[in-house]
Amino acid sequence: MMAGPVGAPPVAELEARGIVKRYGPLVANDRIDLVVARGEVHAVMGENGAGKSTLMSILYGLQQPDAGEILVRGRKVEYRSALDAIAEGMGMVHQAFKLFNSLTVWENVVYGMEPSRHGFIDRRAAIARVGEIAARYRLAVDPAAVVGSLSVGVRQRVEILKALYRDARILILDEPTAVLTPQERDGLFDVIRHLAADGRTILFVTHKLHEVMTITDRVTVLRDGRVVERMVTADTSPREIIRAMTGRAVNLKVEKAVSAPGAPVLVAEKLTVLSDDGRPLVDRASLTVCGGEIVGIAGVAGNGQTELIEALAGLRQPYRGSVSIAGRNVTAAGVDEHRVAGLAYIPEDRAVTGTARAASAADNLAMGFHRYPPLARRGLLDGRALATEARAMIARFGIKIGSEKLAVGTLSGGNLQKVVVARELTHRAPLLIAEQPTRGVDVGAIEFIHSELVAERDRGAAVLLVSAELSEILALADRILVMYEGRVLAEVDAATATEEALGLLMAGRVQEAA
Amino acid sequence: MSDIARPARRLPRIPPVPLAILVGVVLGGLLVLVSGGNPVEAYAAIVTGALAFDNLPNTLNWAVPLVGMTLVAATPLRGGMINLGGDGQMVIGGLVAALVPLYLPGPGPLLIIVAILAAMLASGLYATIAAWGETRHGIPMLISSLLLSYPAIGICSYIVGFPLRDTTTGLAQTPMIPEAARLPVLSGPLNAGLLVMMVVAILVVLYDRFTVGGYELRMRGLNARFAGYGGVPLARQMTGVMFASGAIAGLVGALIVLGSQFRFQDGALLSPGYTWSGLMAALLAGGEPLGAILAGAFFAALQTGGFAMQRETSIPRVLTMVLQSIIILFLAIRHGVGRRRETR
Repeated sequence: MMAGPVGAPPVAELEARGIVKRYGPLVANDRIDLVVARGEVHAVMGENGAGKSTLMSILYGLQQPDAGEILVRGRKVEYRSALDAIAEGMGMVHQAFKLFNSLTVWENVVYGMEPSRHGFIDRRAAIARVGEIAARYRLAVDPAAVVGSLSVGVRQRVEILKALYRDARILILDEPTAVLTPQERDGLFDVIRHLAADGRTILFVTHKLHEVMTITDRVTVLRDGRVVERMVTADTSPREIIRAMTGRAVNLKVEKAVSAPGAPVLVAEKLTVLSDDGRPLVDRASLTVCGGEIVGIAGVAGNGQTELIEALAGLRQPYRGSVSIAGRNVTAAGVDEHRVAGLAYIPEDRAVTGTARAASAADNLAMGFHRYPPLARRGLLDGRALATEARAMIARFGIKIGSEKLAVGTLSGGNLQKVVVARELTHRAPLLIAEQPTRGVDVGAIEFIHSELVAERDRGAAVLLVSAELSEILALADRILVMYEGRVLAEVDAATATEEALGLLMAGRVQEAA
Repeated sequence: MSDIARPARRLPRIPPVPLAILVGVVLGGLLVLVSGGNPVEAYAAIVTGALAFDNLPNTLNWAVPLVGMTLVAATPLRGGMINLGGDGQMVIGGLVAALVPLYLPGPGPLLIIVAILAAMLASGLYATIAAWGETRHGIPMLISSLLLSYPAIGICSYIVGFPLRDTTTGLAQTPMIPEAARLPVLSGPLNAGLLVMMVVAILVVLYDRFTVGGYELRMRGLNARFAGYGGVPLARQMTGVMFASGAIAGLVGALIVLGSQFRFQDGALLSPGYTWSGLMAALLAGGEPLGAILAGAFFAALQTGGFAMQRETSIPRVLTMVLQSIIILFLAIRHGVGRRRETR
């Protein structure tokens, strides 16, 4: 590993000052400052929704910031589009590759900047140039191969070649290892080292800790759109980075008695979930949640939690394994059967999954329970019951909305989350799955949601809590499962768990944690 | 990349549909003016042609299939799905409705009922093929529903062109269906098909407003992921909605055949373009059934008025189709522009 540059270099290769980007009421980037030195591998870390992607698309000219400025090699630049950014020497490898699968490698690489002779593409020169760059940075690619026939790892090299062909001095790699096997990943790291040694600068966007520790010189951590920490990799630890990514200043103490677990309600056995291209996202995960207990799933975001929950809730078909809720096997069943068996579910993303923005509060609060009494009888919806129930929930949960007839699209994040929580808690289901229930919610709402979750437990419901925030897991859970790369790596008794041991487990380091 | 707030350039807040109609009328009027006609005269001819007491039955008669095809498009659209296969589905229904009274024995009223139900069933099942293609094989229904229309039209054309053709005429058409199996006449050109379509339209509106299925369809249209998360079986719902949509198209075909044409004639169901006018009306209302029905009726009036205008003045009735298109285009622009402004 290279030594991290000490102190601020005379002129930064890339500098962002006070970048602000708003989407309606959401501030995706809040006065972000970023300084990256020449030849540095710089990690930008943060959870989903922390603002990494927005920042990268601004640096690459895909979006324009509402405020702030970008300096490349000390000179202020203004991008109207990515073309301007490329002209300044920026390159970006997106998570989803942007390649023509039916064309060859060299055609993809030179596309838009073809060397020409007498008005025709100079094929020989193009192949030679592409081969030369590939050899120089040890990007093993055959320029004449058709892209569609190549593996994912090789396609990624083609993307890097594309950027280098345009002489990118600063290369943004957006979650580059998400699609790679461990061997391909090691190959990519080799390439990155060569690029850095050649004086090129790498911005490495990820939330995988061990990669950051292996390959980067410095780390900038984002949370809720702000820079919360700048660290030199050699002087930090995975645990510190996790705390920066997920930690919250206020560590809320939740009052709760010792749990009295009853019969198992949710039982999952050896559950495997595959991605579209056949990689295991969840890998033989087994878990049991009993009535009267809260089981927390800890883990750095992106380690299979989302997919596990989708499989448990019936939104995604597991490849292998079984799921039962209150004694009913629901492995292959749809969401409705899960709900009938006793599932209530607070999803990770309230705006995308948990609500319909343009629908009224009454309609939103009915979803999932709309097929059964008291809301419906013999296929007919009882509009009066819908309104009455909605008004009761709005009052009980203190949702700040003028009327149940109004659309929920204008509610704040915390209020929208209350809509979801109110709906899922009102019907007293035996099983509650709560996924990131307090993400992006203000402190008052957090306390309220936490106490509601404990109340659910105390009335005998089985609660499965997924949270990227360790403090939340530690405060609420009776037992803690740690997920790492799709597996349930360890189970920890919450009474004896420490943040340190959990942090190590979340980084996949079982021996050290023991 | 500026700290300066963008100037708020907002169009005045006129509701989009009346504004679009207004723009259509103005541009259409200019078109008439440019081509040497008198716009006031043209519009007067359209209005009297459509709405004068004597002409009202004609308008209603034109509205029955048009509103029917509006419902065909609006029902899936309510759930964010698009059925472009109305032509094929309508033709299948028309042919089946003609064949039942021609080749089955039985008393007239019973034949009418059987013919209508068989037409709806056949068209409904045919429409579900597109849904099945999407839910099982990921073939976008937008494309498959349209493509499936052509073989349906082709096969029906072959059937009346060769095996089941009325050999006494030179045209590709079935023999006339017996008088007893024709829809009862209400008055003038109006037949019982009007009542049937009114009942269907009311049922669709009631379904949309008061049933669990209607709620689920609306929620799917607003956020399909939310509906799926709430337990709506999206694949089964798509199949069901397509069946209903196709069945209504079959009904339209059956009502035309049993009520006014009395035989299935190749191409006769398609030449008025009910499917596409209906689709435009459904889009105009964003799939909301009552609005769609009103829009469909509005287009029917416009088109009937167009015929009258062509008779009364020298202005071709294409003008009314132009009007229709301008209205839709203008709405599309407004929606597109509005959306982009929001995401900025």
